[in-house]
Amino acid sequence: MSSIGTGYDLSNAIFSPDGRNFQVEYASKAVENAGTSIGIKCRDGVVLAVEKIQTSKLLVAGRNKRIQSIDRHIGVAYSGIIPDGRHFVNRGRDEAQSFKSLYKDPIKVPNLIDRVGLYVQNYTCANSVRPFGINAIVGGVDDDGAHLYMIEPSGVYWGYCGTAIGKGRQTAKAELEKLDLPNISVKDGVKEAARIIYLAHEDNKDKEFELEISWVSQSETGGRHEFIPQELFDAAVQYAQEEDDDEEEEDEDVEVQ
Amino acid sequence: MNHGPYDWGRPSDDTYGAYNHQIAAANNSQFPKMNTQQPIVTGTSVIAVKYQDGIVLAADNLGSYGSLARFSDIERLLPVGDSTIVGISGDISDLQQIERILDDLQVQDSYDMEKPNLKPEHVHEYLSRVFYNRRSKMDPLWNSTIVAGLSSTNELVLKYADLLGVTYSSPAIATGFGAHLAIPLLRRKVETEEDASKLTEEEAVELVRNCMKVLFYRDARSIDKYSLAVISQSRKKIDIHKGLRCEDMKWEFAKHIRGYGAPQL
Amino acid sequence: MSVTSAVSSDYNSGVSNVPIEHQFNPYSDNGGTVLGIAGEDFAILAGDTRHTTGYSINSRYEPKVFSVGDELLITANGFAADGDALVKRFRNQLKWYHFDHKKNLTIKSAARFIQHLLYGKRFFPYYVHTIIAGLDEEGKGAVYSFDPVGSYEREQCRAGGGAASLIMPFLDNQVNFKNQMDPDSNGTAKKELKYLKLDEVISLVRDAFSSATERHINVGDGLEILIVTKDGVRTEYYPLKKD
Repeated sequence: MSSIGTGYDLSNAIFSPDGRNFQVEYASKAVENAGTSIGIKCRDGVVLAVEKIQTSKLLVAGRNKRIQSIDRHIGVAYSGIIPDGRHFVNRGRDEAQSFKSLYKDPIKVPNLIDRVGLYVQNYTCANSVRPFGINAIVGGVDDDGAHLYMIEPSGVYWGYCGTAIGKGRQTAKAELEKLDLPNISVKDGVKEAARIIYLAHEDNKDKEFELEISWVSQSETGGRHEFIPQELFDAAVQYAQEEDDDEEEEDEDVEVQ
Repeated sequence: MNHGPYDWGRPSDDTYGAYNHQIAAANNSQFPKMNTQQPIVTGTSVIAVKYQDGIVLAADNLGSYGSLARFSDIERLLPVGDSTIVGISGDISDLQQIERILDDLQVQDSYDMEKPNLKPEHVHEYLSRVFYNRRSKMDPLWNSTIVAGLSSTNELVLKYADLLGVTYSSPAIATGFGAHLAIPLLRRKVETEEDASKLTEEEAVELVRNCMKVLFYRDARSIDKYSLAVISQSRKKIDIHKGLRCEDMKWEFAKHIRGYGAPQL
Repeated sequence: MSVTSAVSSDYNSGVSNVPIEHQFNPYSDNGGTVLGIAGEDFAILAGDTRHTTGYSINSRYEPKVFSVGDELLITANGFAADGDALVKRFRNQLKWYHFDHKKNLTIKSAARFIQHLLYGKRFFPYYVHTIIAGLDEEGKGAVYSFDPVGSYEREQCRAGGGAASLIMPFLDNQVNFKNQMDPDSNGTAKKELKYLKLDEVISLVRDAFSSATERHINVGDGLEILIVTKDGVRTEYYPLKKD
């Protein structure tokens, strides 16, 4: 970033001479060191998972959720500045509610992402505001099946089979690429999500974390976005820890050799 | 000359004079502001009674357009959350408005991704405030409603709310014609809470079904097809039976009626 | 929009060419009657529990006298939706009074405040007869009554609602000894005023309500009496005729 300190990074409303908006790029920095979030698109639905870094032992376990619902059928996981994520979700809820008020049907996921994308983009255009400090992974099901998107501070969004953001994103993406997406079941998706978050946590080892997993699928939840049941969660965590141990053993073997 | 962007495309004030905004005003001076003055498509009575383990309520499937039986598949018992039924009589478009308001309420309740927290006492309070606020704006939602369900402490809730914001609670409630025809029949079995605690589920269902039959006999704005909901405390469950029919009716007397319609020999 | 008739006669002279305005009526009457009496060191506020619209009995037990805290009793009888709204607003404001001032609301202040609630809707009134009861700063029984737009007065007793006109003259005679003479004065001196005891008041109230039940169709089913003394609030219930 040769242009840093030249003044072109002070405002959204000014391009640098080489055509970049530095405020947007800095916003992405806010995301890169945050806890990892992943989204997996499966055959029959979507799985969302986050590595929620516990900044204090005094925080109540199982509360302060980082995965939220936008409508019955749409969930969001985000990494970055949490209040920005809360605001993003509120806007999504307003859009979903207004769509349903007007057309009775629940909003389709691509339409929802279109609307919130426009909203996020607006925060890159004016001098008086700053962009969203989050990457949000939005997943849901509608009549056209499962959808998974990730939206960035610039307002751009792409559809994915699997995506990750936050500190462990590289590790997570590498693992996601090994999966046969979107042809696995959501039940398998849940196990893999747990495993990948545990693996991605290696990049943030010194901090405590809590795992959150939600899913939305026609077959498992009747099209509703919900946190996975406790039994399934426990099984997924067990699977993740076993895999994690195996990997460590392999590493040790390598060292011995 | 008016060059501001706000005035682009408008005839020049200098030539044509300033625009008279009254022309475009939706409510111009000729008439008073108009809100709902009467219901259009209507649903007739809703009836409900408590029994020892819960509440039975029923409403028929007719949507009347004046005296015309216009729609015969209107569902007027709405489940809200997992422990409430709202039975609605009166204007059907307002019923649909209430349906939407209550659906939004349920979506908001689900944002925390926990089990539904919305209980009948909340739904009743909310609905009655909506009614009262609308009547205070002289723009009422033209309905009478019965809210029934299991409260947060698993107790029975059976309450009424209407277009004026009037509310009350009783072990037997009926709206519309039902208040005249069904209430005497219901109170014959259930006058007090104590009576209700002795009535079995089978007796309650039979009682309500009999009331629906009497209403079909005597209420010209009714139909013999109805929905019936059974709320059970012990099962912690609500069952809605749809498309029930009035049974064992006797219409022999009809042929003796004279003086209406085409002359009969 | 004008309505003109071909022939002018006595029969159409009343025809108006003003558009007829059908208006939604935002009020109804939900019947019932209420009664408050102040004693020397107690006060009571009583009401029947019947709830009606027209000739229909909606409920046989729908309480309309409430204990709202700070040893205050309140009732707003008439159009039930307005009554409920008024009591709800008062309860809410009472809570805020505690938050803001950390002290109990005296009945004197409660009365003045209710005047503001009622007069605030002077041009779309709460269609209710409001009565509050409690103990004043000296521990004496107090009853305040209000008209629908907030005019108020402290009184020894007051009946409100449907059968007020039946009960009030009885109360004038039995509580304030109107038209009663001192028996020893041979009809020359009025009977001296004195406070009634609680059990006397309770039997007066029961008589008043059973008589009102006989003569007024919107009164009956049950009688709920709330009693404030220095020891707090308690409730008594007596059945009334259900016909």
